[in-house]
Amino acid sequence: MGTNGNNALERRRSDALVKHRESAETIVSPVGDIYETSDAFVVKLDMPGATKDSISLKVEPGYISVRASVGLYHAEQANILVNEIVRKSYFREFNLGQGINHNDVQASFEDGVLTINLPKTEGSKAKEIQIKS
Amino acid sequence: MLVRFDFPRMFDDLLEDASLSDFMPVTGRFPAIDVAEHENEFVAIAEMPGVKKEDLKITFENDVLTLKGERKPYEIPQDARILQNEMRVREFRRSIQLPSDVDAKNISAELKDGVLRIVMPKAERARARQIEIR
Repeated sequence: MGTNGNNALERRRSDALVKHRESAETIVSPVGDIYETSDAFVVKLDMPGATKDSISLKVEPGYISVRASVGLYHAEQANILVNEIVRKSYFREFNLGQGINHNDVQASFEDGVLTINLPKTEGSKAKEIQIKS
Repeated sequence: MLVRFDFPRMFDDLLEDASLSDFMPVTGRFPAIDVAEHENEFVAIAEMPGVKKEDLKITFENDVLTLKGERKPYEIPQDARILQNEMRVREFRRSIQLPSDVDAKNISAELKDGVLRIVMPKAERARARQIEIR
């Protein structure tokens, strides 16, 4: 990614932070796994408390970002006896290498885990080479 | 002085300590728990992404709520190459002591989007009442 790309990334990041300072939540970077198969990269992110509708997934060439809000767990007037859960929203971003078909990215959300499937372009898939002689 | 030995809870503490190095992500205990008191009930919230209903056991005994379960690994194709692995929790067990006025028979629980919500109604005797002045 060239200089322009990095600037754009920085700008997006600072926009997100400025927007966030106005609320009392913490931005949490969800923990995740990534694995590669013969035809795709798969990203899995732990995002408990997010919902299918609260997640915003942005994909552009070379870049993917995930953002989600988490609703309040307790009513205002409740008396909190134990508090280990941070009030938060989620944000994580990845730079993608070449060879990803960003038009065909698919995502699903189950049990608080977001799964993003990033298919490889035809040209970047591993090929088996037949030995002719 | 009355000393009360509570063996199950002592073991819980041991398990939690042991699991810190083995299973815990950097973010802390799994699952993270909140407990809130409302007028007529206590509500416990536990964040447990990736845990299925059938792999979770909830018990309530002697005013102690215990969550025991397992986060099973997801299916992954055989030829896959792991590039990043941050999700570490496998088995977990946590206990929380509640005030002694929970109506244990009417506890209900729901697991949705990785969040467990347990509603524990207060026993009738513990509920706040408005006293009518005659």
